[in-house]
Amino acid sequence: MDFELDDEQLELQRVVRDIVGRECPPALVRAVVDGSDDGSGLWKTFVQLDWPTLTVPGDDGGMGMSAVELVITLEELGRVADPTPFLATTSQYVPVVRACAHGGLRTELLGAVCAGRTGAVAFAADAVRARRDGGGWVLDGSAAHVIDGDRADELAVVARTDQGIGVFVVPAGVAAAARTPTFDAAFHVADIELGGVHVGEDRGFVGPEVEDGVARARQEAVTGLAAVTVGASQRVLEMVLGHIKDRKQFGVPIGSFQAVKHMAVDMYVAIERARALCHFAALTIAEDDPRRALGASLAKAAAGDCQRLVARHGVQLFGGLGFTWENDLQIYLRRAKVGEPLLGSTAEHRAGAARLVLAHQHPTEAA
Amino acid sequence: MRLSFDEQTEAFRREFVAWLDENAPDPATALAERSRSSADIPAWAREWQRKMFDAGWLVPGNPPEHGGRNASLVEVFVHQEELGRRHIYPSHNPQGLTIIAPSILVFGTEEQKRRWAVPVLRAEITAALGMSEPDAGSDLAGLRTRAVLDGDRFVVNGQKVWTSGAHDADVILAFVRTDPDAPKHKGISCLVIPTDSPGLTRRPFGSIVSPDDLDFNEVFFDDVEVPAENLIGQLHQGWRVATGSLGHERAMLWLSFAERLDALVEHGGDTLTARGLTDDPLVLDSFGNLVVDDYALRLLGYRTLAQARRGVEATEQSILKLLGSEAVQAATLDMLEAMGPDGLDPDRRSAPLDPLHSEVFTASWWERYLRSFAGTIAGGTSQIQRNIIAERVLGLPR
Repeated sequence: MDFELDDEQLELQRVVRDIVGRECPPALVRAVVDGSDDGSGLWKTFVQLDWPTLTVPGDDGGMGMSAVELVITLEELGRVADPTPFLATTSQYVPVVRACAHGGLRTELLGAVCAGRTGAVAFAADAVRARRDGGGWVLDGSAAHVIDGDRADELAVVARTDQGIGVFVVPAGVAAAARTPTFDAAFHVADIELGGVHVGEDRGFVGPEVEDGVARARQEAVTGLAAVTVGASQRVLEMVLGHIKDRKQFGVPIGSFQAVKHMAVDMYVAIERARALCHFAALTIAEDDPRRALGASLAKAAAGDCQRLVARHGVQLFGGLGFTWENDLQIYLRRAKVGEPLLGSTAEHRAGAARLVLAHQHPTEAA
Repeated sequence: MRLSFDEQTEAFRREFVAWLDENAPDPATALAERSRSSADIPAWAREWQRKMFDAGWLVPGNPPEHGGRNASLVEVFVHQEELGRRHIYPSHNPQGLTIIAPSILVFGTEEQKRRWAVPVLRAEITAALGMSEPDAGSDLAGLRTRAVLDGDRFVVNGQKVWTSGAHDADVILAFVRTDPDAPKHKGISCLVIPTDSPGLTRRPFGSIVSPDDLDFNEVFFDDVEVPAENLIGQLHQGWRVATGSLGHERAMLWLSFAERLDALVEHGGDTLTARGLTDDPLVLDSFGNLVVDDYALRLLGYRTLAQARRGVEATEQSILKLLGSEAVQAATLDMLEAMGPDGLDPDRRSAPLDPLHSEVFTASWWERYLRSFAGTIAGGTSQIQRNIIAERVLGLPR
């Protein structure tokens, strides 16, 4: 077991941190929130760097990296509250297309990502049905809380069919998407009405391997969202540490008080715990380890614990100075919390992890 | 980053596992004679420890003459992992094996190694650690037991407390004040004191578990004469030995918490399954939390292992101890409460007894919960760990 980032991974982390630190300052996020910028300039920068193709295989024109590099990158993007559709494109859409699409469309869709097109996924097998309709498919139902569902160029809909789970790739504009309000206005979530949407034969994929592919892609999506949460939490901690070292009361920095120190340490430990599990989840995906389902749930559960504690202590330790719109704390606080209810809540993933482990226990008890 | 160890490490693991299969003690013999304290090694366990020493499997990182085979850090880790997985205690005098012998091997003379370190490793004698005093707990450097050098001997007066296993130990590695005028860290020395020395009195006292749970001792020194040659390290330089000793203790601690968490998953999972509680939402929540902690601790531990391997001084032992000890405590309490009224019986084991391990690891949930406080108090309390992390890792002002 080698649980350290290697030199190339550390270099990637450094490069991404440098670039997004420069290109995505708090002022940009604020501009996106108030509507004076749409983040497209930042997206173009990412495209020029090939980052959206991080896990697109080399043969398909991408960088061909693993989920570990993806998680490293997403953590840094969480740290700056990235306002682009990077998360959905790289950790949801690309994995679904990679795992489920085949033939010419797969090449076309992955090629489009390399050219800067974006994608999102509606994991809506419980809410959307697909029926055969002549040479293609017709969808029925609606998908709620789809990350970037209102602005992605392509939407991959996971729906139920008579032959099991299927994936149906719908171009933007075909389905009615309505962005829903969230407290993190730089993060897009949408409800999508899919009733009567027709999908061509070449854009629908069904079969046992698709069902398996969806499950695997969802693990990557869950892990990616956890990584964003960890990155945003890390930013909150960094801001808090700066504040409690500088802020003096009673003639001393408030960070010298044990009550304050211990809260900061608990934030730090919660972040380390969650980050370790994000890396583990990514590693199980990269190595296709049988623990990948468990890994993703552990990462999401720990990230949920992490943001909960970091947000609570973070606002508290800033005192009144953090309770303003002007303080950038609120930007990262929002990003840390926005992922909690999406793709399975903290409690759902915690219970899911418990079930996976309990399934291997023996019903024995000491007398 | 990768999930597996390299082939050389796995070959080492296979060799050790094969040796264990061949040589592990007979559980029936082990059941017949139990250890009564952390310095009481039953005859079968002495034989077992000696066998491990002779085969170079007791402390694989040591050279052969000290019970090892010059194994690498990762191999040492894998060795610990296999013993933990199989619930085998390498020594029923754990302080001797993991703190006292290594301290003497690092700071002692050749003669001292021969007289005390090797016999402790070979289970010919047992040893206890004399650190804490009534007024020196977290502030260990404030210790006041006084030793005056008088010609070729020290005369020791004072008191130690929490000295685990002292009543069954042959020697105590004691930290004493030899220069009362120096700053507190600079006037401490380290002595090996035989427990049969005239003037030395040991009084075992019951722990919170039971009046009959006798492991802790008060140790009183009343003009106890100790030969000058029993000084470990240099005069007044005992703090270096102490931090070295605690270093040994801390370096191994995270793995012991990881083993406890693994055991909680195993014993807790079996118990919950047997009791039909595996669909209870509260149980799923608390058990899921345990699984998160278990994996996180192990992963963070692997990271410190990789750092240590590269020679980077791990700043993370405090994080591991804090996270591990508090996770064990929370999960044990969750299990105690999941038992309902059946958790009231203090004699109802939480899991079948592992004959080759210490009994406390399968004691009742109540006892395991009480003992979890040893993790959050001994070896630096959770509050001290938080101070250390705040100052050394987060850079907060003292």
